Amino acid sequence: MKLKKILQKDVEKLLGEAAKKWQTYVPSKNDEGDTLFAILPKEKDELEKALQRVNLKDDWVAISPKEIFFPQVENMFSFDKERITEEIETSKKLIFGIRPCDLKGVLFADEFFKRNLEDIYYLSRIEDRLIVTIGCNTPPRKEACFCTSANTGPFAKEGFDLELVDAGNYYLVEVGSVKGEEFINLYSAFFEDAGDDEAEKLNSIESDAKEAINVKVDFDKALEIMKGDKDLTENYKRIGERCIYCGGCVYTCPSCTCFNVFDDKLGDNGVRRRNWDTCVFRGYTREASGHNPRDEKWTRTARRYEHKLKYDYSVTGTSGCIACGRCLSSCPVNIGMSKFIEEITTNKRNM
Amino acid sequence: MKNEYLPYKVTIASIQKESFDTNTYKVVFDDEKTRDSFDYRQGQFAEISILGVGEAPISITSSPSRKGYLEFSIRAAGSLTNKIHEMKVGDSLYVRGPYGNSFPYEETKGKNIYFIAGGIGLPPLRSLINMTMDNRSDFGHIKILYGSKTPDELCFKQELDEWKKVENTEVWLIVDKPCDGWGCSIGVVTELWKDTDIHPKNAVAFVCGPPIMIKFVVQKLTQSGFKDKDIIMTLERYMKCGIGKCGHCNVGEKFVCVDGPVFTYEEIKKIPSREKVI
Ligand SMILES: Cc1cc2nc3c(=O)[nH]c(=O)nc-3n(C[C@H](O)[C@H](O)[C@H](O)COP(=O)(O)OP(=O)(O)OC[C@H]3O[C@@H](n4cnc5c(N)ncnc54)[C@H](O)[C@@H]3O)c2cc1C
Ligand code: SF4
Ligand code: FES
Repeated sequence: MKLKKILQKDVEKLLGEAAKKWQTYVPSKNDEGDTLFAILPKEKDELEKALQRVNLKDDWVAISPKEIFFPQVENMFSFDKERITEEIETSKKLIFGIRPCDLKGVLFADEFFKRNLEDIYYLSRIEDRLIVTIGCNTPPRKEACFCTSANTGPFAKEGFDLELVDAGNYYLVEVGSVKGEEFINLYSAFFEDAGDDEAEKLNSIESDAKEAINVKVDFDKALEIMKGDKDLTENYKRIGERCIYCGGCVYTCPSCTCFNVFDDKLGDNGVRRRNWDTCVFRGYTREASGHNPRDEKWTRTARRYEHKLKYDYSVTGTSGCIACGRCLSSCPVNIGMSKFIEEITTNKRNM
Repeated sequence: MKNEYLPYKVTIASIQKESFDTNTYKVVFDDEKTRDSFDYRQGQFAEISILGVGEAPISITSSPSRKGYLEFSIRAAGSLTNKIHEMKVGDSLYVRGPYGNSFPYEETKGKNIYFIAGGIGLPPLRSLINMTMDNRSDFGHIKILYGSKTPDELCFKQELDEWKKVENTEVWLIVDKPCDGWGCSIGVVTELWKDTDIHPKNAVAFVCGPPIMIKFVVQKLTQSGFKDKDIIMTLERYMKCGIGKCGHCNVGEKFVCVDGPVFTYEEIKKIPSREKVI
């Protein structure tokens, strides 16, 4: 399909219309000033207010959109004395304004939850979804984004239904799938064909956007090093000295998928739930006997980096890190994946 | 799509006390269809729960060759397992599974077999032992080497006596701290090397027990000439989901719950030593 365009002032109206039909998730500024994905309400007044909070500009979404499909806490089933009732969520979803790196993270998690035995909770949530990405003309996390090094941005190349590119007072719209095309046809009043010279314009915006990414590391070299047998114990130990093992990097990481399972019970009724968990926590591997194979802090640091850069790569052919930079920007002691990569590829100590 | 996380109700049909902290529970699925469709292999495990308390992975210790019920030997180790120990015949538990890979069976036919277990390591092996006992003529010589801290902590005392009587089968027991009248060896499992011949020719060894015991047994087996691929063991790791999703049991690129719990020593050697799998 030809390149389309939509006026930026019409996006609010489009979202207002779409919210009636879809469970619509869009980056929104909350009262504390953080931008997070929020669901647009269906009720008219509430919707009006929510639309005022929509933020598609250069601000960054603090928590990755993985939480739309893999919530921080979710019910698996409820139970009472007689029966177990499973809780499956299958709403028709529109994810509007997801960044290209985060899309990679979502696609990575999709594959993970399909592998081996299928995870019904995640897979039901993604069953009916439409993804509209938005390219990054400027890096939302200026000091941390390093997508060009991993080839995961600043614009998406595949996996989206539609992609928006900021071109001044309008967005250029690339169509990535039949579903995306159907969406445009459904809301044709908002879209028009882009002019013949617009493809050229798109290219020049993209090359400027690539230029704008400040942080550059040798990602491929890092993958090569991690694949080999080089002993990085010293690096892990040193990083482990500084790390406070808060888990912030893992909770915000788009491709981290670990969880804990627990029961909540009141009287005869209860729910089995799962919540995000992380390999950097000490209790994560502690067995009932008290034996804990990752009792020493640095072994947890080693686990995290090796999982992302070595094992994800050997199992799936792509790295588990999609270079969003969240681990660095969320870290209270300034540790992050881009810094780790820089350190092992240049032998410069930077953490 | 099947919801792998949904457990099915079972009723406790009998409880056998094994030692001061371990009981064997024989359970039967309430639903007949589930009973018939629960097909498992020797060495697999199930997730057992009490709703409202929690869930834990437990090896299926019954043999697939004996149908209609499942058996689990459960050591009271924490919140859930202690609660299970308070239960009586007729009470309900919830079970889902079976999960994990299994002990090789067809490939070991015609071979001499060593079963080497420590403490609560015998229950996972028992499934395979009984399968070989039920098809005894398919295998060569069988030696069961089993050790525990005290005589009281030996599981399946009655069956140990029965296996001893089977043709071409030996049972060697050893304990750290003997009691009066203990007629067998004293020490750790590897001390049994002094008492009986352990020979690698046309043999495989199945090893199961605490990490430290596995470590020393593997050393001994290697010294005796066993090849890495002929030393087969099960790993224990903290687990939540049992289906390769929660990440807790992930070591190297393997999920112990899906790629294991059964591994050859050859595979174990590829996992970084800092992961302390044995
Ligand atoms: C494949 C496999 C097969 C197994 N087979 C068997 C078997 O056949 N028989 C058997 O008896 N066991 C078996 N186990 C071990 C069994 O799963 C554990 O003993 C069981 O999970 C204990 O659960 P629990 O709820 O009773 O203990 P919990 O109380 O839940 O303890 C489990 C976890 O809680 C935490 N915890 C407990 N106490 C503390 C504390 N004081 N402070 C902080 N954290 C704590 C730890 O993280 C610990 O890992 C097997 C394990 C695996 C992985
Ligand atoms: S490891 Fe860090 S940079 Fe890589 S995807 Fe996760 S949060 Fe983003
Ligand atoms: S127990 Fe959850 S991944 Fe293995």
